[in-house]
Amino acid sequence: MNKRSTFIRLLEILPGTISWSILIILIALAIFRPVACAVIIIIFEFFWIIRSLYLTTLLIMAYHKLAQQKNKDWLLSCQNSDIKKNWKDIYHLVIFPTYKEGLEILRPSLEALKNCNYPKDKLVVIMAFEERNKDALKNAYVLENEFKNDFFAYISTYHPDGLPGETRTKGANATWAAKHGKEFLGKKGIALEDVIVSCFDADTCVEKEYFGCLTYHFLTNPKPHQASYQPMPVYNNNIWHASSFARLVETSSSFCQLVESIRLEKFVTFSSHSMSFKTLVDIDYWPVDMISDDSVVYWKSYLYYEGDYRVVPMYITVSMDVAYSSNLFKTIMVQYKQKRRWAWGIENFPFLIKGFMKKNQIPLSNKIRRIYHLLESHISWAVWAIIIMVIAPLPILFGGELFKQSSLGYNFPHITNMLLNFTIGASFVWIALSWTILPPRPKDVHWSKSIIMVCEWVIVPVIILILGSTPALDAQTRLMLGKYMEFYATEKMRKK
Amino acid sequence: MFTEQRVRALLYYSSVLVFFLGLPFILSFALGYKFDRKTMKFTQTGLIYIKTQPSGAEIYLDDKLINDKTPAAVRELLPGSYHVRVELENYYPWSGEVQVGQRKAVLLEKIILFPLRPDIEQVNKDKFNIFMIEEDRGIIYYINYDDSGIYISDLKGSHFKKISSFIGISPQSLKWKFSPNKEKIVYFNKHKIGVTYSDGEKEKRYSDEPFVLDYPQGVILDIFWHSDNYHLIVVSDRNVEVLEAKPGSSFIELVKLNKRNTQATYNFHEDTLYFIDSQKLEDGSVYDNLYKIDLTAKALTLPELIKIKDNE
Repeated sequence: MNKRSTFIRLLEILPGTISWSILIILIALAIFRPVACAVIIIIFEFFWIIRSLYLTTLLIMAYHKLAQQKNKDWLLSCQNSDIKKNWKDIYHLVIFPTYKEGLEILRPSLEALKNCNYPKDKLVVIMAFEERNKDALKNAYVLENEFKNDFFAYISTYHPDGLPGETRTKGANATWAAKHGKEFLGKKGIALEDVIVSCFDADTCVEKEYFGCLTYHFLTNPKPHQASYQPMPVYNNNIWHASSFARLVETSSSFCQLVESIRLEKFVTFSSHSMSFKTLVDIDYWPVDMISDDSVVYWKSYLYYEGDYRVVPMYITVSMDVAYSSNLFKTIMVQYKQKRRWAWGIENFPFLIKGFMKKNQIPLSNKIRRIYHLLESHISWAVWAIIIMVIAPLPILFGGELFKQSSLGYNFPHITNMLLNFTIGASFVWIALSWTILPPRPKDVHWSKSIIMVCEWVIVPVIILILGSTPALDAQTRLMLGKYMEFYATEKMRKK
Repeated sequence: MFTEQRVRALLYYSSVLVFFLGLPFILSFALGYKFDRKTMKFTQTGLIYIKTQPSGAEIYLDDKLINDKTPAAVRELLPGSYHVRVELENYYPWSGEVQVGQRKAVLLEKIILFPLRPDIEQVNKDKFNIFMIEEDRGIIYYINYDDSGIYISDLKGSHFKKISSFIGISPQSLKWKFSPNKEKIVYFNKHKIGVTYSDGEKEKRYSDEPFVLDYPQGVILDIFWHSDNYHLIVVSDRNVEVLEAKPGSSFIELVKLNKRNTQATYNFHEDTLYFIDSQKLEDGSVYDNLYKIDLTAKALTLPELIKIKDNE
């Protein structure tokens, strides 16, 4: 191992070490210094409540924006005289990297594209199959027959397995498809500057105004190539049929993205998003050997433009599938693996440090702030639920009679209960907000499901216990131990 | 966008402010500090937590009524001695002196307020002489010497009925003991041992008739059931003997005792008898020792018993 790789290994070890140290120190304090532990937990819980209330307010702001822009005619906005460039010159390259998804998943995604109000002769669609999927050719044949005449071009690509320097990741497949797209656009004489690329998860169904909205944001941006365009992911495709557990987890994920959309300085691309195709080519596409391609592509662009790159939130939703399986245990496993994959985004930390070391033009304060945001979000993800759900009761458990007979020992459980009761108030807001983005109830779903969907929020503490921190801690531990993850294609189920 | 980010900044800094302003108060409350507005200082205090059975009692602290009812915590008390009185209508009051320390919680959690007029209720439905309660099954057994009958009822006295009979002994028996499986009862006085059955209607084997044995060889001090529900261990003023609980059974002597008024306890989980016996040393002095005999099924074979005797 050379010097640099030793340094990178140290950076890989650091996040997990911090998270584990926090947890171990707190447990040790609970055993040997219960008073100190209880004081730290009270401070942490108070901080967490304030933070939850603050983030809930941001969530309300994001919802407000979403509601404001819900029925906006974006194509009409594109015709605004203030916009110098003609929106009709803009082409959209849409890539759907897919692996195991079947036709029941892929077809609705293409149907949604077809139903968009943006001129279809400006849409180039690439269904990016993995060559190792034995059904790829068969599925491609069926979809080509159905959609080949609906867009400017409909292309199927087959990403070969085991290319040098690649691992089995979505980014590798998307990159292969994007290179084909570049070749195609070049043949057609379309300038890269006029192309916006959208990389969508295979189950992504866009709203009819999506490309109008995207084009508007692109054209009105003073530096259109120096931005990624992030729609708000919701998981409405199968939400009425998914299990309560999975539904709540995915609703929480949507909430997180909505909150992040307000915190612009921390906002990083996630899941399905769009960006300038020119920029994508300039940065040499998505990473082909990293799992968190959606965020790494942002960091690559950020480094390429010396920090002058941002994510523009688009308050328009893209709908995806709630990941669930045939029974509760399998659903928990599917969700756990999906969250662990997301938490593997901590691999961005060494990538970013390495990148920052080469970029002297980025101000040091910016570098420190971005590194802190990245590290803090992942560390707090890995420890918060464990502190609140597991470590918080330990001072009482290990404190003995002496601790119980102190003012702190008596007040501690009362204060923690009181503080956590604040979150119940916040949860009513979450329930109300979750209803506003819910699609209409399908005819095959009984009305009682609506009641269940309100009552199911009582299981949130169970979800926090199972999925709150453990996937993130798992991911950081794997990175710490050098047990690198492979891309896990989340299992998708949809009622046929 | 600008306005939205300004609102967000305002929210952010407000949250930071609330955190740093609220934290000292939350921590001081948790740690038992009281903020004195006059001196503008935090003072260390303690608290008393009072929980009563039944709840809802009024609390008096140094004869001042507290505006709260049990269970309740009286907080922010300066260190020192307090007289606590708890009152509830129709119950005896409880009072006590409590020492409150700095940052300490005095937990008065086990206060039972007893009623002024306790509810006394007659349980038995008929005449009886002695009773036994089997808590596990919720049964009261009544022994009636007059008709030598065994009766049962539930714990409220309902469902009273005769279930079995026994052979009377004279003078009347001292103690009654159930076998571990609750099917048999042994009763005895100083020189007689009787065995009967708790369920007279149950189909029994030939040996399962009630019977009485004489014990002329000494004074019976205690009798224990073996865990097999079949053997009885008899401790008398002369020896420890074992016998089968069947008519005409003969005694096997396990230990001869020097001590006349021995004390014995039987652990039927381990089938071990613990007893005291005295030992005379060469210098003429007498010591009491505690002995034990293993009476597990394995050890109850005759050679094992003889071995115990040989060891004596």
